[in-house]
Amino acid sequence: MHENDARSTLDLNVSEGNLSAGEPAVSVRELTKRYGEVVAVDALTFSLRPGTITGFLGPNGAGKTTTLRLLLGLARPTAGEALVFGRLYRELVRPAHRVGAVLESNDFDPGRSGRNHLRALGLATSIPYARVDDLLELVELGAAANRPVGTYSLGMRQRLGLATALLGDPELLVLDEPANGLDAAGVHWLRGFLHQFAAENRTVLISSHILAEVAQTVDQVLIIANGRKLATVQMNELAGGAGSLEALYLELTAKAAA
Amino acid sequence: MIAQLRSELFKLRTTRATVTVLLWMLGLILLVVLLHVFALNANDLRKASNQPKVYGWGTSIGALFAALLGAISVTGEIRTGMIRPTLLATPNRALVIAAKVCAAAQAGVLVGLVAEALVSGIASAGLGARGIHITLTAGDFVQMLAGGAAAAALWAVIGTGVGAIVKNQVGAVVGLCVWLLLIESILIGDAPSAAKFTPGASAGALAGMIQNASAGGLLAPALGALLLIGYAAIATTAGLIAAERRDIN
Repeated sequence: MHENDARSTLDLNVSEGNLSAGEPAVSVRELTKRYGEVVAVDALTFSLRPGTITGFLGPNGAGKTTTLRLLLGLARPTAGEALVFGRLYRELVRPAHRVGAVLESNDFDPGRSGRNHLRALGLATSIPYARVDDLLELVELGAAANRPVGTYSLGMRQRLGLATALLGDPELLVLDEPANGLDAAGVHWLRGFLHQFAAENRTVLISSHILAEVAQTVDQVLIIANGRKLATVQMNELAGGAGSLEALYLELTAKAAA
Repeated sequence: MIAQLRSELFKLRTTRATVTVLLWMLGLILLVVLLHVFALNANDLRKASNQPKVYGWGTSIGALFAALLGAISVTGEIRTGMIRPTLLATPNRALVIAAKVCAAAQAGVLVGLVAEALVSGIASAGLGARGIHITLTAGDFVQMLAGGAAAAALWAVIGTGVGAIVKNQVGAVVGLCVWLLLIESILIGDAPSAAKFTPGASAGALAGMIQNASAGGLLAPALGALLLIGYAAIATTAGLIAAERRDIN
């Protein structure tokens, strides 16, 4: 795929100024979300430096997706705060140009074509149709672009989701299970893409269940369970790579469940 | 706001829901108008007081399907998950609802015009085929088209608000159908003095006629317009509040 094209309209976001070196891309402080009696996220605190790829790990129901929704302004926290670039998501000027996110792999109108899906969202944030065509090529959906999304495979939907997130050429990518449904070549491509993305001092947060895949892609992992942070681990501090990440993850989450 | 409105109009043009809604409208118009024109007694149809009740179906059906388009522009996105990328692009929910309201109103004008024109055309052709003299004046037809278009635009706004409040697509669609086709027509039959002030009868006042009621049983057009604008404002406000408050899953 054409990795260079991803930066073709980088100048779209110069109006917002560059990141200062010290400002975290994401800062979450004492974030709490309760649904009645259930505490989905419990006083969670973490921050992400620009230029890093972070894996967000935890068992089903650990509160990962809820945390991402709170971060992206789709839900309101019960207490605490979740900021992107020092602000609430909803207070960002032209948020699509700073943050790109995919929360579900199937957030499309099944009757609309992939191209029109991107155009519809691009129009809302004044992104030219040419950018849509570039992104369709980047994620290799050019040939399927005029077909209804309902006919796409899971892997194609994942790639369309990624293209959606990249519409505004953002500085932060938030992806929920991005490798789900991708074939081996697709996973390999995605890993290369994310590495290059982060190499440009941009930030990635991906939640995933596939530990081996995460271990090969991320710089650090953030492990949560029951809405609480269990650990933040730098991958280069883990001697055994994927194997020891799995051992650590299983040990931590088993302790949390006990 | 201009960008969001462009996006919403583009979405209306590129979703199958729009085509589906318009096809259902065409089917219902054919069924209802042909039933009335060919199944009713010729002597009843000759009465000047009865013809507007047949032609008035254009107002009800136009308003209903405009409202459905508006409602589905919200509930359809919630159903498919499209609402998430929409709100990520525009986290200001009031802006999203406002753009949807404006897009639906524009679509509503077209839906209202098409519904009134189809009902007028089919009813006139049917009455003509049975040799029944049409008592409506040119002025009646002009008011029907212009008022029907305006009423459908306002009903599209009401539908958008209802969609944002109800969220559930089946609930919103069934609710709007039951209200306009069933409850309003029962009220007009059983409690005409109160029924005048309902949102459906207000649409009828604008167009000069609605299913089963002619101008005699309706408010003055200007009063109907004001009332309908009021209903649309209430629905929009309630929809905005609902959209602001709720978490998106």
